[in-house]
Amino acid sequence: MSETWLIIGGWVSAGLTIFLFSFLYKDNPFFKIAEHLYLGAGMGWLFQVSVTNVWLPKIWEPVMNGELLVIIPSILGISLLTQFIPRISWISRYGFTFMMGYGSGLAIPAGLSTDFLSQIGGTIKPFSMLASMTPFNIFGSLLVAGGTICVLFYFFFSVEHKGHLQKISNVGIYFLMIYFGAAFGNTVMARFSLLYGRFDDLYTYSAVKYFYATQVILVAMVVYFILHSFFTKNKKDVSEEAA
Amino acid sequence: MLKEQLQKFFKIDRRWIFLLLAITLFVPIMKPIGLPNKTISPATKRVYESIEKLPAGSFVLFSLDYDPSTRPELHPMATALLRHAFSKNLRVGVVTYIAGSTGLIEEIFAKVPKEYNKKDGVDYTILPYQPNVLAVMTQMSSDLYGIYSQDRNGNPIIDMPVMKGVKNYRDMSLVVSVTGTALLDYWVAYVGDKYGVPVAGGVTAISQPGYGPYLQTNQLKGLIGGMKGAAEYESLIKQPGKGTSGIDALNLAHLLVLALILTSNIILLFVKYF
Repeated sequence: MSETWLIIGGWVSAGLTIFLFSFLYKDNPFFKIAEHLYLGAGMGWLFQVSVTNVWLPKIWEPVMNGELLVIIPSILGISLLTQFIPRISWISRYGFTFMMGYGSGLAIPAGLSTDFLSQIGGTIKPFSMLASMTPFNIFGSLLVAGGTICVLFYFFFSVEHKGHLQKISNVGIYFLMIYFGAAFGNTVMARFSLLYGRFDDLYTYSAVKYFYATQVILVAMVVYFILHSFFTKNKKDVSEEAA
Repeated sequence: MLKEQLQKFFKIDRRWIFLLLAITLFVPIMKPIGLPNKTISPATKRVYESIEKLPAGSFVLFSLDYDPSTRPELHPMATALLRHAFSKNLRVGVVTYIAGSTGLIEEIFAKVPKEYNKKDGVDYTILPYQPNVLAVMTQMSSDLYGIYSQDRNGNPIIDMPVMKGVKNYRDMSLVVSVTGTALLDYWVAYVGDKYGVPVAGGVTAISQPGYGPYLQTNQLKGLIGGMKGAAEYESLIKQPGKGTSGIDALNLAHLLVLALILTSNIILLFVKYF
């Protein structure tokens, strides 16, 4: 990529980032431009990916090479679009039938094995190796097994949760709260990482190589907000006087 | 009087907090403080060891499935993982099931292979984006070339030195999935568990806690989580990068959040009981 295009890319990137962040101060036309541009570019990108990476290599080229069998799944795929025409929407059921059958056939055995049987096995297995485990590992295994039982019991509604059963259910809530706390903490960290990423880029584009893109756009935005606030205040004063 | 003053804290315009956070994150970028990253989680270490123990020439499949929205977290870890693989002289295959990843993959491979004098087609190959990940994963279990006949530049891969002796999952020593989506679940369920291929992962910090059960049962050989995980991996391979430099900013931002939580709770307690 040429140097000029890199500089233009830097200006576009810095500009769009600042435009989008400007919403944190208040809504403005620059934010709207960036928002609409994002949606438009996203749709355009998705369309070209569908054409160049799916339609051309998976349908057009095989058909041109005489592999006519691909027409069958293509027709099934196209049948899904009949959903938009109520009169013939029943045709879409054929496409969905294949998708459901194929999806279920793949997902159900894998899900049962990976997320159900293996997890039950993983919870029980350590108890067969207690003799070779350290006290800390034994405590860990008991904690995992106890936590699993208590949380599962919290979601078991066929027995009234009162007395000792209420206590088991409450322990389950504590385990859930610890998980939610850990998940929330990680979410905060992830969001800060993303923010750091944008700031890092803004810092990169603030260099002389990019002709101070970040500083120029930032100052322009501040000037816009000052002028906007000045003129809207004047307009408000005039309308109040007229009233 | 004091109580009223303190209660004003809860009515503070949140834009001041945004500004404070922006300054907290921006300052370390302009002037790195160099806060140490001393803890390395066992899950990250397990990924490192999974690659470290592989003999030179082993084939490792990298599934890099993230787009610019999760780039700050996942790009540094993908870069560090590939640096580690190349430094161990492993053969590398790259696949992606997120169209937005292709540019980011090119960005890594424009730089990293040169550092280790690695050549496209000989030491690594980048396969093109494919839609319908489940169909691709299933096909690769029997014959990889049935779905990937060419690399991303249209060159046939079957005769490439990097692909020598690699036909399906049985010929792969490790699959590493770096993703901001649920694709790591698919690699575990449809490839790792089904065909006995070791699977390791790198995910965003948000997804990280959900993979704990897979780590406990060893269905996942290791896991790198978020920018912190990337920094840990960079420490392990002794090549500081974007993950390490982000730790300063993350540490300060976390301290700010802690300070805000503590301050508001102390004020709340004071207002309530005094």
